[in-house]
Amino acid sequence: MQDYIRICDVEKYYGNESNVTKAVDRVSFCVDQGEFVGVMGPSGSGKTTLLNMLATIDRVTAGHIYYEKTDITELSENALSDFRKNNLGFVFQDYNLLDTLTIEENIILALTLQKDRKGADGSGIGRKKKLTQSCEEILRLLGIEDVREKFPYQVSGGQKQRCACARALVNHPRLLLADEPTGALDSRAAQTLLETFTDLNHTMKATILMVTHDAFSASYCGRILFLKDGKIFHELVRGDRSRRVFLQEILDVLSLTGGEMTDVK
Amino acid sequence: MLSKLAFRNMKRSARDYLVYTLTMTIVVALMYSFGSLFFQNELADQVNMLEDVDIMTVMIGLATFFIVLIVAWLINYMVRFMLEKRSTEFGIYLLLGMRKKTISRLYIRENILLGSVSFLFGCLLGVVFQQLLFTVMFSMVRMEYHLHVSFHRGTILVTVLCYAGCYLLALLRCRRRFRKMNIHGLMNAKRQNEEIRERHESAKRLILPLSVFFIFLFWAVFGRLSGAREIILFLVGLVVTIYLFYVGLSAWIICYVRRKGRGIYTGQNLFLLRQFASKVRTMQFTLGTLTSLFTLALMGASIALMFSTYENTVLEDKFPFDIQMYSADAEDDFRKERALLDARGAELEYYSYRIYTDRQIQVNAWILTHLRAWGTMYRNEDGSPDMPKIERMLQTESIYYPFDTYMGITDYNRLREMLGYDNISLESGEYLLQIKPRLYEDVQKAGEELQIGNASGEGILTCAGIVADPFSQDGHNGADYLIIVPDAVLGRMTPYYSELVADVKGELTEELRQIVHDLSEDKEKFYDYMEEYAERPEVDFSTGSDNIIVYIGLCLAREMLIPEMKYLLGSMIFPLFYIGLVFVCVAMTVLAVQQLSDSAKYRFRYDVLNKLGLDRRQIRGLILKQLAAYYLCPALLAVVISGKMILYVSRVFVLETGVPVAAGGFFLKSIVLFFGIYLVYFIVTYVGFKRNVHA
Repeated sequence: MQDYIRICDVEKYYGNESNVTKAVDRVSFCVDQGEFVGVMGPSGSGKTTLLNMLATIDRVTAGHIYYEKTDITELSENALSDFRKNNLGFVFQDYNLLDTLTIEENIILALTLQKDRKGADGSGIGRKKKLTQSCEEILRLLGIEDVREKFPYQVSGGQKQRCACARALVNHPRLLLADEPTGALDSRAAQTLLETFTDLNHTMKATILMVTHDAFSASYCGRILFLKDGKIFHELVRGDRSRRVFLQEILDVLSLTGGEMTDVK
Repeated sequence: MLSKLAFRNMKRSARDYLVYTLTMTIVVALMYSFGSLFFQNELADQVNMLEDVDIMTVMIGLATFFIVLIVAWLINYMVRFMLEKRSTEFGIYLLLGMRKKTISRLYIRENILLGSVSFLFGCLLGVVFQQLLFTVMFSMVRMEYHLHVSFHRGTILVTVLCYAGCYLLALLRCRRRFRKMNIHGLMNAKRQNEEIRERHESAKRLILPLSVFFIFLFWAVFGRLSGAREIILFLVGLVVTIYLFYVGLSAWIICYVRRKGRGIYTGQNLFLLRQFASKVRTMQFTLGTLTSLFTLALMGASIALMFSTYENTVLEDKFPFDIQMYSADAEDDFRKERALLDARGAELEYYSYRIYTDRQIQVNAWILTHLRAWGTMYRNEDGSPDMPKIERMLQTESIYYPFDTYMGITDYNRLREMLGYDNISLESGEYLLQIKPRLYEDVQKAGEELQIGNASGEGILTCAGIVADPFSQDGHNGADYLIIVPDAVLGRMTPYYSELVADVKGELTEELRQIVHDLSEDKEKFYDYMEEYAERPEVDFSTGSDNIIVYIGLCLAREMLIPEMKYLLGSMIFPLFYIGLVFVCVAMTVLAVQQLSDSAKYRFRYDVLNKLGLDRRQIRGLILKQLAAYYLCPALLAVVISGKMILYVSRVFVLETGVPVAAGGFFLKSIVLFFGIYLVYFIVTYVGFKRNVHA
């Protein structure tokens, strides 16, 4: 489907009347269903702010964000919570797992918080069976069945991040939002996670929007938006090119920015 | 520089641990106000004419001892708690090259500063509390109290000593803790606490049903325990159960979650259960201690309520005559006493009369076999009276007169008149049973079963009724009961002992008070008296079956005794409330501080839940549920445990003192009192918690 998510002239200002910081400055773009989009930019370019607005965690100062026909900038606080619950999944750099729950329970909780889940009959054993089944599937898909009984502090960073992915995906969200998901992982774990993302993108047709400042991570995306000073200044589409070629292209774009992105791997 | 740092840190601690600071202020205020009782002489002199030692001072001293221990525990707990929370900060100090000794001195200085601030505010508040306390106490013993705000040097000294004692006990171990720590340990202290250790949960789970079983067992057999050894064993078992209960509870929840019980698949239950289980696991020992404190506080408050209810209801009717005297000599005309009283020119209306006996024990035996207070103690297995045992009891114990006690209707009506009651007329073939109000229910069948002989001794009288007006029946107008008969019946009886009552016109003056006091001193050579007449048990003064609170006196003066009794009861009531109040506040502070300082961690958790789709309203609901579970758990266990003891004790109390309240009433009232304080702390925590989470 075309124009699955539309971001129209979105602006976000911080500060007061005398001192205004434009974090996001009239940004517009679209994301199609099943796309894997990356947002790159140096620190302070507004990429996390943009992600937060898409995630309904932060409100726009001006502009609109449409998920199909729903304009989320018009929704009330409670409606936003419901929207978030039913449509979005999150993966963050610091995992955001609940430390009192095991890996498996973190996923079950995300499932149980959704009362009117499609397919679940809402009561009794049928519901339990359905939820357990969903949980099993996602644990298997992300390869963390072995550590399901463990608490977050007992597993590696990569496993924690895969658990966060599983939790985000178990409700089949319309959009998976990832904020620097590989930021705290070693290169091997990062690679595994990104392969998982690609896999999910292909097999589950998950729509993913990932914010990163790491060119290697970005090379797994299908399309990359480059953000600078709150504006989109470039866009790259991978098309049929190999990941290696795409990575080179990304690095070229970054070097064009005058080496400001010094933290590129 | 260090002083500045200590001062700033203290300011921050006072803000972060506001509940603790406030509680310490209240504790100081209570210490100050109750400590001031050590130095008030006016009240003690007024009511303690017969005593050398002021009982109030002794009781408050005892209460203070326990309070100092518990407050020391609170300070020690808080010092350790703050140390853990600030371990990273101390690690940084070490990293910067500060010496351990310096850090520990800095920390101790901070705590002492914080304590001093609480102390200053506490003393100010204490003056207000003291005025309130004195007003209540003076009005209780019928004296006027004029409010005057003043600092008493002695009171401040006592408060300082108690408070410093608490700190000394608490800070003793603090230094050692610092000595053992290293930079790595300090930096990692927080993380270590967060690790969840789950081992042998299935085995630990069994502790829960075991402790529940023990509590059931406790309910079933508590009233039947006899012998100190049994009771001590049971109490030790109870304390162990209280502590183990939490180990079992958390293990049980963990197993339930692990087993994937159906409950976890609904709403936020999984989160709540896990959260609760992990909190109970890390806090199990503290929760056990809090439960014990709540149990003691509830028991203290209930017992205080019992005494206070007695004081407000039964006591007022205990001494209905202005002055009443007993003489074992049936011919005594009380000339000496009258002369003494008259010499002061007091306007008194006298009436002296005799109590008679037919030298039978029929009524005594009936009373001993039918009052609930005696149960089946004086019955044979087939239900018939155990006469040898009854006779032995009547001869050796001064509870009932050895023979039945009678009074003529003329004397009876004359006394009723003096008390402002209506006259009762009695036909020649009738008798009345005059009984203590508390025994009225027990003797309903007496009329059918007692065989009271008529004037000639050949026929029997019929019962015209049972009267339960307050009538001074603790040995004066009979012990527990009197049989009121037509005057003609007295002809075949012998006088038993003499009584004199006097009605004072107007108020009892100071002089008269002194005379009555001297008289009672004279008559009150009670124990000598008992020895002297040991050979003649038939004139032994008997007291009736009242128990727990009894005043035995051959010479009673209402205006003097009621304040004295009230003061004595007050010396139980005030210390018990004092203990209850401090214990509850200490326990609530621990709960509140725990929750509030964890709110930073919880903020992260709620933030994650928010991202998973919970809105603010749902999160507020979740906070409420989480806090309620955490707050209610120790309170409910304490209610269950103390409930049995309080219900048992209050049943005995009601039975033996005649307080007109259902036994459960004290328990309910103390729960209401307790949960009132609980609610205040709960609301403060909830508001603070919500603010921290949403900040």
